[in-house]
Amino acid sequence: MSKKTISTLIAVAIFLAVLAACAPAPTPAPTTAPPTAAKPAEPTKAVAAPTSAPAQPTKAAEPTKAAAAPTAKPTDVIFPTPIPGKKVVNWWSHWANEPAKVQVIEQIAKDYEAAHPDVDVVVVWWDKNPLRDAVRNTMTAGKGAPDITTFDTEVVEWVKAGWLVDLEPVLPWQNFNPAAKVDGQYAGIKGNFKFNIGATFNMILYNPEAFQKAGVKVPDNYQFTQDEFVEVVKKCKAAGYSGVANAVGNRAYPARYPVEWGIFNLVGPEQMSKYIKGETSWDTPEVRQVLNWDVELTKAGMWPATFSTMGIDEFHVYFHTQKKSCMLMVPTWYAGRAFKAEKEGGQSPNFKVGMLRYPAMKGAKANDYVYAGWESGYAILTQSQVQDIAKDILKFASQPKYGALWVAVTNSPSAILYEKKDIPKVEGAEQWQWYWDEFNKVYGPLKVATPDVTHCGEFEDAYKTYVNEGIPQGLATVDEAIKGLNAKLCKK
Amino acid sequence: MTTTARTRTRRAPWGAIALFIAPVMLYYALFVLYPIVATFYYSFHTIEPISGKLTATFVGLQNFFALFEDDIFIRSVQNTIIWATAGPIIEMATATTLAFIVYFKTPFHRFYRVAWFAPMLVSGVIVGLVFKWIFNFDWGLVNVALRAIGLNDLALNWLGRRDTPLWVVIFVHYWATFGYSFVLLVAGLSAIPEELIEAARIDGASTIQASLKILLPMLMPTFITVLILSFMGKMRAFHVVWVLTGGGPMHFSETVATYVQKRAFSWSTLDLGYPSAMAVVWFGVVIVGVALINRWLKSRVDY
Repeated sequence: MSKKTISTLIAVAIFLAVLAACAPAPTPAPTTAPPTAAKPAEPTKAVAAPTSAPAQPTKAAEPTKAAAAPTAKPTDVIFPTPIPGKKVVNWWSHWANEPAKVQVIEQIAKDYEAAHPDVDVVVVWWDKNPLRDAVRNTMTAGKGAPDITTFDTEVVEWVKAGWLVDLEPVLPWQNFNPAAKVDGQYAGIKGNFKFNIGATFNMILYNPEAFQKAGVKVPDNYQFTQDEFVEVVKKCKAAGYSGVANAVGNRAYPARYPVEWGIFNLVGPEQMSKYIKGETSWDTPEVRQVLNWDVELTKAGMWPATFSTMGIDEFHVYFHTQKKSCMLMVPTWYAGRAFKAEKEGGQSPNFKVGMLRYPAMKGAKANDYVYAGWESGYAILTQSQVQDIAKDILKFASQPKYGALWVAVTNSPSAILYEKKDIPKVEGAEQWQWYWDEFNKVYGPLKVATPDVTHCGEFEDAYKTYVNEGIPQGLATVDEAIKGLNAKLCKK
Repeated sequence: MTTTARTRTRRAPWGAIALFIAPVMLYYALFVLYPIVATFYYSFHTIEPISGKLTATFVGLQNFFALFEDDIFIRSVQNTIIWATAGPIIEMATATTLAFIVYFKTPFHRFYRVAWFAPMLVSGVIVGLVFKWIFNFDWGLVNVALRAIGLNDLALNWLGRRDTPLWVVIFVHYWATFGYSFVLLVAGLSAIPEELIEAARIDGASTIQASLKILLPMLMPTFITVLILSFMGKMRAFHVVWVLTGGGPMHFSETVATYVQKRAFSWSTLDLGYPSAMAVVWFGVVIVGVALINRWLKSRVDY
């Protein structure tokens, strides 16, 4: 064989090796997963009567002995094929990386199919941002949109565009928390557009071991003052931790929490709503107090080093497994991402977090409140050719047993009212009992407020730019932030 | 001997010509011309769904005037122009040097030809993801290496500052695309008759003299074409930026392409008219830029 031939063969081999090495990984990364679909989940095990129920979400949940999610198994990632001869309902859902929520929704779909043998419910699982883009693009194009989709209240433009079916005459609203019904309504627009299944309460979790190493003692009322909280962050930083694990790699909100919850605590939910919705100037002493506090926190070492690139799944792991931060500011959907198998990015059941109330701002008006809201819900798109069936599915999902199932499996509060008798016994529930006990202890005595925080388009970007990215990274001053936010206030 | 020339006029076979070019023209009309014309049309309208139906409302030049008050658009223009200026300079300098290395058949030149083109084979999305890890502040390769040699102060938060994200994007995109320019320049060099170099050598010219005085001038037409392609590529680059920084933080690495994407498909407004106006303006800027480069450099083509 000639030298030229050998050289050519070596070059080809290297070329093929480079091609093979550069091939994309077959498994999508959790935060940018392409749409996946799952087989129907295994039915929940055992239906023995529960001993007690998690509380209704009208006040902070107070389970005396709540059922808890098992370490949920991952659903198979396959694209289901609609069954020929059946009416197909396409359901696109967020929560691809939260097996507990997948289990609940898949159970609802399966139960509906069992009750309606002529219907095939095809659930496709997504991450939130790609799902929103896909719905937006298919609705704009006029074809390809699903029948049921994940919907969040802040996506008000879908409502204004007339893309969503009015659920007011459809759902049995008496089955829901009254505040959950209000969540799907918009001023000036007739109708109700959102089916809520999950509620959220905003929490501050802490790593007790990290606090011990940092020399931080939690007050008896679980609440630091705003100045004490800065000291806590400094101590954590000195001990080698970041203050919190929150990062903004693929979400527009995790770094907003200190500002949002600080304003909530300081001025109360109603006034806070006006600020966050962009309806009023941010150049007020109260806002400056909170933004200046946010700057102090940043300087004290609040944020992780990988703040700008770490995604939502990663920062959960950063907190509960890598244990690189003292705290995590997170709503109760924490359980959906954390209470799963460790090899899938979940936490050990033995990592027992503590909880804190929001730092008490000087002159606070809402120290005795917890800030609550609603998880992503579902809506029906007007492009659907099977609207009647889609409506029936959401009506079917409104039964109390699914509210109870949600609580039992996901360890998150439900928007659907239920009774103790509805709660299924879930295998492995006891391992998360400590979580409910801590939650009830810290937030149980507080009043609950669910302020409306729907922004308009340009204010949303300014809020993200300055509050979520600018101030936390020291890239914007308080004056710049106020100027930038005021420039984009929502025009009435 | 005389011949009677019989002049025979040949008619062009228009039927056959039309048949052969019809598929390409149809493709061009549908996928190139129509979107351009549609974008121009949309730029004078507000296009948004009203009561579920996509509705176009004529607004004249309103979208264009609004661009001058859009600070994010202005920043994205600045960033893109910086990129389109610095990027091609770095890329052409590297690609030309490497092309000469391969042309003069230095040891392992066949390996270099493959190795330097290899980054082009990798998807831009993957390049963005991998370099996001490489530039990670905590455990990325760059900072780990810098800390290992004691240069802790240089271990920056590359993707989270005001001044560095854009240059990281420029570097990563350069890494991913210089191979394309390199390969085209190698082809251009290969097309130059070798006799010219031999003649120069016989006359006593060194390799460097032959390169500068003969090869480079002869390479100019190819060089200009590659430079224009590189410039156009930077003016509309998207995927590497999108994955690496998303245009952030705080729009410090925002480019026109990413901003158009956000306004059209991700913003909390559904209007397609305004991003169309952005696209039209940028289309004009790119054409003017290409014309200027062409005019400036073509006058320097001299052989």
